[in-house]
Amino acid sequence: MDPQSTIILGKAIGAGLAMIGAAGGGIGIGLAVGGAVQAMGRNPDHTATIQVNMILGVAFAEAVAIYALVVSLIILFVLS
Amino acid sequence: MNSFWNGKRRFVALLMFLAGVFVALRVPPVIPFIQLPGENFPEGFNVPFTDIRLTNTFAGSVIVWILLLLFVIYVSRRRPKSGNEVPPGGFYNMFEALFEGLMGFVGGIAAGRHFRLIFNMFMTIFLIVLLANWMELVPGVDTVGFIHPHVKEKYDADSGEYKVITTDGYEIYQGFLGISYVNGQCDWISPADEAAADEAALLEAKAAAAAAEQASIEDAAYARYQAGHGDEAQSTEESDDHGDDGHSAASGQSDAALAAHDEVLAARVAAKQARADRSCYTGVGPVPWADDYVADDKADKKKSIPLHPDPRGEEAKLVPWVVLPFVRVPSTDLNMTLSLALISFVMIQFIGFKALGIGYLTKFFNFGTLFKSPLGGIDVAVGLLELIGDFAKILSFGFRLLGNIFAGSILLFVMSFLVPILPWPFFILEFFVGVIQALVFALLTAIFMNLATVSHHHDDDHDHAEAH
Repeated sequence: MDPQSTIILGKAIGAGLAMIGAAGGGIGIGLAVGGAVQAMGRNPDHTATIQVNMILGVAFAEAVAIYALVVSLIILFVLS
Repeated sequence: MNSFWNGKRRFVALLMFLAGVFVALRVPPVIPFIQLPGENFPEGFNVPFTDIRLTNTFAGSVIVWILLLLFVIYVSRRRPKSGNEVPPGGFYNMFEALFEGLMGFVGGIAAGRHFRLIFNMFMTIFLIVLLANWMELVPGVDTVGFIHPHVKEKYDADSGEYKVITTDGYEIYQGFLGISYVNGQCDWISPADEAAADEAALLEAKAAAAAAEQASIEDAAYARYQAGHGDEAQSTEESDDHGDDGHSAASGQSDAALAAHDEVLAARVAAKQARADRSCYTGVGPVPWADDYVADDKADKKKSIPLHPDPRGEEAKLVPWVVLPFVRVPSTDLNMTLSLALISFVMIQFIGFKALGIGYLTKFFNFGTLFKSPLGGIDVAVGLLELIGDFAKILSFGFRLLGNIFAGSILLFVMSFLVPILPWPFFILEFFVGVIQALVFALLTAIFMNLATVSHHHDDDHDHAEAH
């Protein structure tokens, strides 16, 4: 195997492993939206407030997955 | 709104769709080249009085500043002077509604003495980040730019100038989802290394020449010279073949001095080739990808792209064409997001000192209760953790914005490549991601600023009664 293929192989495996961290973000978003939908079902009057807070929480949970994405992007495009 | 798609507009939409299909079929979509750091502009676009080049993300942020400035001037001029005037409509009215909504939103978080400062900071960051994020939706941003041979320039700290590092990657491997890899290796060589390599090659050549004098001089020299040339063209196996050919062909004529000279020459070629093999390149924007140039090799899963002679004029070196965008989304540059994060960090500490005075430091260095209460040590540890947490905010702010927007722009690249006609849903998605990330950045700043104004040590509360 020539060195170039080895490098690409290593980068691809590393980037894939880094993206495992995105699973946590997925679980978090699922929990947040699930909770928000239950809350909206119980008191529909507060839908607007709940929605705003839900979107913020989802953005924070997503940020963790985005960190993983940044790491894997750095592995793919910056590391050489 | 119902009548919007009636009449002629329907045909306009249909024509635009057909034009999109035609263009997508006629001009093959472009495979994106992806680079994380902002690309340097070519020579001539320096920071005034220095050698440091401007980047295209900087051009993007200048556009954001100009837009923001025009916006501020417009809004302040349109502001009604007195109460009984007829309120203006249109864009100003929309902004006023947005402004009032956000004011209520922040008021729910940070009502109190410092509301004005917190809200000013919130709104400033929100508008800057919002405009910066939405730039990725503008056609031409990230796609229109200088077309140039695909070379990498690197700032060399020793000599203080930009050095062109050539690429020998004339093949692109089509990777997953159209994100492409360039064939080759990457390694920056400093001038000192280069000189050392040259010297080593010369010494080696002299030693080899001395050794060659013992044996059949001409044959060995010619073979080595051929080996050097073979290396330049292809792999080592081929060079061996060349060497053998040279061996048979070199049925002698020259004397020992000539052989030694050849030896040195060949060693230089070999050293140069060794450097070129380690040369560096990265992708810079999309490759202009026309059918004429593409030699599709399905078996190898790689495509050749248009070649261009090396700008340094070296023989047999070909590099591909790429686009260096004039303007890139500023939020995809870590410099922009990290500096915004630093500003927001500084403002958080500033408002803390403004509200609590020097007592704000007890949040981090809480030695007051160390000998008074049995759990004083825990307070100290908590304070130090707060200190670390505050610095972690910088990274968290910066990387959250960078990651979201950079990932979004890659999503748009890839979707425009896969579905050239209808990537609209992803543009709508990115529209909302831009709003949400701007809101999150500004809102977190507001929340942390509000937290910093609140003294959380009940013992100290009476000392800083003015904070409440």
